[in-house]
Amino acid sequence: MIRNSRKESLIAYALIAPFVAIYGLIFIYPTIDMFILSFQDAPLIGSGDWVGSDNYTRLGRDRRFGTAAWNTAYFVALSVLPGTLVALGIALGVSRLSGRLQALVLALFFLPYILPVSVVFRLWDWTLNFQFGIAMHLFDWVGIDRVPIFKVTAWFMPAVAFVTIWWTCGFSILLFLAGLRAIPQEIYEAAALDNTSRWRTFRRITWPLLWPVTALVLTIQLILQLKIFDQVYLFSQGGRPNDNLVMVYYIFQRAFVNDHGGRAAAIAVVLFFVVIIVSVLNFQLMRFAERRQ
Amino acid sequence: MRYVAGLALGAMLATAAQAEETVVWWDFLAGGDGVRMKQMISEFNESHAGEVAIDATTLEWGVPFYSKVQTSVAVGEAPDVMTYHASRIPLAVKQGLLSEITAEDWEAMGLSEGDFAPSIWESVQGSDGKTYGVPLDTHPIVLYYNKDVLGEAGLLTEDGRPMGMDSREGFTETLTKLKEAGVKFPLGSVTADGNFMFRTIYSLMGQQDGELMTDGEFLVGDNAAKLENALAVLQEWTNEGLQSTYTDYPATVALFTSGEAAMMINGVWEVPTMTDLHAEGKLFEWGAVELPVIFDHPATYSDSHVFAIPAGSAEDPAKRAAVLEVIGSILKGSLFWATAGHIPAYQPVTETDEYKQMEPNATYSPLTANMIYDPKTPLAGVAGPIFDVMSTYFVPTLNGEMEPSEAVEEITYELNDM
Repeated sequence: MIRNSRKESLIAYALIAPFVAIYGLIFIYPTIDMFILSFQDAPLIGSGDWVGSDNYTRLGRDRRFGTAAWNTAYFVALSVLPGTLVALGIALGVSRLSGRLQALVLALFFLPYILPVSVVFRLWDWTLNFQFGIAMHLFDWVGIDRVPIFKVTAWFMPAVAFVTIWWTCGFSILLFLAGLRAIPQEIYEAAALDNTSRWRTFRRITWPLLWPVTALVLTIQLILQLKIFDQVYLFSQGGRPNDNLVMVYYIFQRAFVNDHGGRAAAIAVVLFFVVIIVSVLNFQLMRFAERRQ
Repeated sequence: MRYVAGLALGAMLATAAQAEETVVWWDFLAGGDGVRMKQMISEFNESHAGEVAIDATTLEWGVPFYSKVQTSVAVGEAPDVMTYHASRIPLAVKQGLLSEITAEDWEAMGLSEGDFAPSIWESVQGSDGKTYGVPLDTHPIVLYYNKDVLGEAGLLTEDGRPMGMDSREGFTETLTKLKEAGVKFPLGSVTADGNFMFRTIYSLMGQQDGELMTDGEFLVGDNAAKLENALAVLQEWTNEGLQSTYTDYPATVALFTSGEAAMMINGVWEVPTMTDLHAEGKLFEWGAVELPVIFDHPATYSDSHVFAIPAGSAEDPAKRAAVLEVIGSILKGSLFWATAGHIPAYQPVTETDEYKQMEPNATYSPLTANMIYDPKTPLAGVAGPIFDVMSTYFVPTLNGEMEPSEAVEEITYELNDM
């Protein structure tokens, strides 16, 4: 059969056209528009006067931008690596179980992941509310002073990071489990024959062979946590949102509370590049680490 | 013949159904006052069956509501009528969100300037000299108190009000005595939510004739010192253990209704919460009075709920007439709205004997003479930029993490940097 390559590529174009069109309309076009908007003195709706790079230079002395950048970095530090390690630990544990018990334990760890963020907020507010939280009654009973966890800045980010890890690690556990199952049993059997210690088995076999999955989990977590918004928004409601600002929250606040569409767009552009740069760096680092191994 | 008559009747019903105008209504009244507003709406719908039907939706108060209004106006999907805060009218006018209420509109509603107090009327005027809202009420903050607890501690006057309402020393003494009597929180205070505390702190500034904004500049001259005084009083109460710390809004109300806090400063919109709980036998004897005079003279921060028509909505004459009918009817029936704690803006209602005997409204109504409003600027208004900046520094100050002087310095810097 003679293949008509021209016809084939035409069909290929026709098949990807709908995706490209929609992608262009709801992603490429708004992104370009955002860049343009970031050079304007625009309100939330509509365009404004051209102001050059004012919106960007302003960020340098904008204290809230500083707070938001710092808090985002802090949150990433508190959630990405610890979250990945916790998930790895749990996955290693779960993989030692078998049959129904494994399914049950896995389901228990995965359960929080299917909850909507609003429910997560309600659960933890119910537990840790300064006046009425269950944990506070426990504190009283034990004789520890109550701590207004979501109302003081020192506790806020660590607590939100903890809740986030509790909420989302189920997904990372699944990825790790899949990675663990992909490691051939024969290697472990061979190691066992050689009387290799458990730590050595992990260090020399599990860890290197699991590395691609670990790198994937880290990258997914990193991008996800740089864009943190929901939890911070919910937990700082009726509290002190401006001390707990993160980047996406600040974009929301600039645009919707202060009616500064242009300034909000400038922050969004900065975050856009931060995410790209950090992800690329992360990816390169992973590759470097993999090669060394 | 019967067939023909049936047909004719059917045709009449059909035209009647067609002539019914649906008025899309948005509000942010989600508390006890929302329950009352829903009752007013259903009563309106019953009495106007076949003519006008209100299709009402309650949205989340604050930023979510006002963001939605903005975006819906931009895409032409705004409601026909909505509730609004008078304090946000300057911003709304700047954003081009509201449609003017013209002289003909006022005539159609059967309302006029003379029906409203001058300060309230002034609050719905745009900077362009046009009118942008129909005031429904004014809703100040008041001091709620637990009569049982105060009575037991011997802190009620002969007419059943809390003692020490006329000075800082007097009120602090009342709080201290409550503490000594074993009350956990003499004053329930929304100390975790700076947005709410704006109302209390601005009232305390008003009691010293302080101004937030003078000719476009913030906290000029001794106004900064007056803000500091206000913060210092509140911080003193925290340091002495006289008010609840790090308490958010729902928790404050719960502390009061559960009896753990003997008094509470909150908006009149919580009156229906108390009335309803009391009617169910779940609440102690309670009262609500004007805020204590901590400084020179009484002053209370207040805002108004107004009805506004979004720009581009209800332009069709028949629709407009229906919208005006809705606003006019609700205003004229706003005696019932007073049971939601609010003070109706439509004065013919507040002049009735029925209103004058309504409790607890009658007890705190004299405060209307001492009400102060937000500065008239696009930066003002509930959940607006000024609220936002000031609230940042209120929370640490009120909970003893930051000195009042430092807070004032930061607030002044940030406000003037907006």
